[in-house]
Amino acid sequence: MAFRSEEQQAAATGPEVIRVEGLHKTFPGGVKALDGVSLSVGRGEVVVVVGPSGSGKSTLLRCLNGLEETDSGRVAINGLDLDHRTATRLAIRRQVGMVFQSFNLFPHLTVTGNMNLAQRLVRGRSASEATEATQRLLAKVGLTDKADAYPAQLSGGQQQRVAIARALAVEPSIMLFDEATSALDPEMIGEVLEVMKTLAYEGMTMVVVTHEMGFAREVGDRVLFMENGRVVEEAATDEFFRSPRQERTRQFLSQIL
Amino acid sequence: MVLTRAARSRAIDLAAFGLILAGVAWLAARGAEGLGYHWQWYAAPGYFGSWEAGSFIPGPLLRGLGVTLQITALSLVLCMAVGLATALLRLSPSWAGRALARCYLETIRNTPLLIQIFFTYFVLAPLTGLTAFGSAVLALSLFEGAYASEIIRAGIVSIPRGQWEAAASLGLTSWQAYRTVVLPQALRRVLPPLAGQAVSLVKDSALVSTIAVYDLALRGQLIVADTFQTFEVWFTVAGVYLALTLSLSLAAGRLERRLKGGA
Repeated sequence: MAFRSEEQQAAATGPEVIRVEGLHKTFPGGVKALDGVSLSVGRGEVVVVVGPSGSGKSTLLRCLNGLEETDSGRVAINGLDLDHRTATRLAIRRQVGMVFQSFNLFPHLTVTGNMNLAQRLVRGRSASEATEATQRLLAKVGLTDKADAYPAQLSGGQQQRVAIARALAVEPSIMLFDEATSALDPEMIGEVLEVMKTLAYEGMTMVVVTHEMGFAREVGDRVLFMENGRVVEEAATDEFFRSPRQERTRQFLSQIL
Repeated sequence: MVLTRAARSRAIDLAAFGLILAGVAWLAARGAEGLGYHWQWYAAPGYFGSWEAGSFIPGPLLRGLGVTLQITALSLVLCMAVGLATALLRLSPSWAGRALARCYLETIRNTPLLIQIFFTYFVLAPLTGLTAFGSAVLALSLFEGAYASEIIRAGIVSIPRGQWEAAASLGLTSWQAYRTVVLPQALRRVLPPLAGQAVSLVKDSALVSTIAVYDLALRGQLIVADTFQTFEVWFTVAGVYLALTLSLSLAAGRLERRLKGGA
């Protein structure tokens, strides 16, 4: 059963906000991470990227906000072409939030410090404005009582929820999730997925690299299956799980389901 | 009373320690006796200062200590600034910046400090109108700054890439990421070796006595030249340096514990 209603699914194919064309990326040492990847994501759409490790999923995600340099090809976010200029990069990162597998909270700052930092430096908010937004977002991820805690005092699930809230604090229009639950103990995966579902439900545009097929099925509008730096199959979620066209996809699904 | 095993081994340790100290003192005393040395410890306190007509007159050692403190304090601030700037240059994407930092580092680390002090005082100072005191501060800052920069660089490099990426993904510029995310963590990590560098600075500052800066070491030398109380004066001067460096280490240790408590 789809998590989102039919109307939301329809509305999900809004105007294009992410455009990727013919992306190539070879790592030093000759490993081809991306070998001609193209992708288009509409506003409010949730695209799930799956595939075996080393297939280029994370690299693709990291190219979307310029954390990774590309060799050739084009990435455009909300119509803005990602080029080599620092200003473009900063402009795009203001619109694209990212959540990492290893949380990457700043250990020397409290939860509030973590969340206020970019609001103040990037959004130019005052301390009180930032703290207000921080409290609102902490309530949303269910961590109001942890505002003054340091990251080391939180569980993995709590840290990841703070990381999501921290990314949201800059008010991005797109969120990228890079295996956000892979480093978590099993009993904490649920609380993080719950936050991600809520976000999707609220209409956030999301590109999610994950091994959680349950989440992909429930929340994803579209699934991208990658291997060896290429997109092997791309289909609407139901279609992807029910009747995959490629033999390789069937093989992959039979292994993990 | 029955001692526990741990207490007994500790008592034996202390006894051995006391015995060694006593042995060293005895050797020194016998050596001095053999030289026919005439101890005049009663004169030592007077070199720190004296009371005359109800007011305190600072003696030469105290005034020397004041100069040493001024030089080390100024050099410490400057050497940290130089060290930080050099570390950032070495890690910068600019080729020219990296080359500049590298030249500075290699020059400083591969020439003796004494020669650097002479070069600053006899070559740079006449060209720039620098005083002896200024030359001392400049030479010491540049020297210790080179070592501080390597320590700071190691601290920066030790911060995981994920911290940079998180800062970048939030839209921070690289300078903002340095200032608010990377440097606060890196400096905390390298506080102990930086404190060690500060201790080196205090000790190395004695070399500036060679360019007529009236620091603690030069004051001691002058008193010895006047009074021939070689043993008393150098024991005292060494004790003052020791007190200085020990309190510096103690302060650094306390600061480190406080920072650790915070995060």
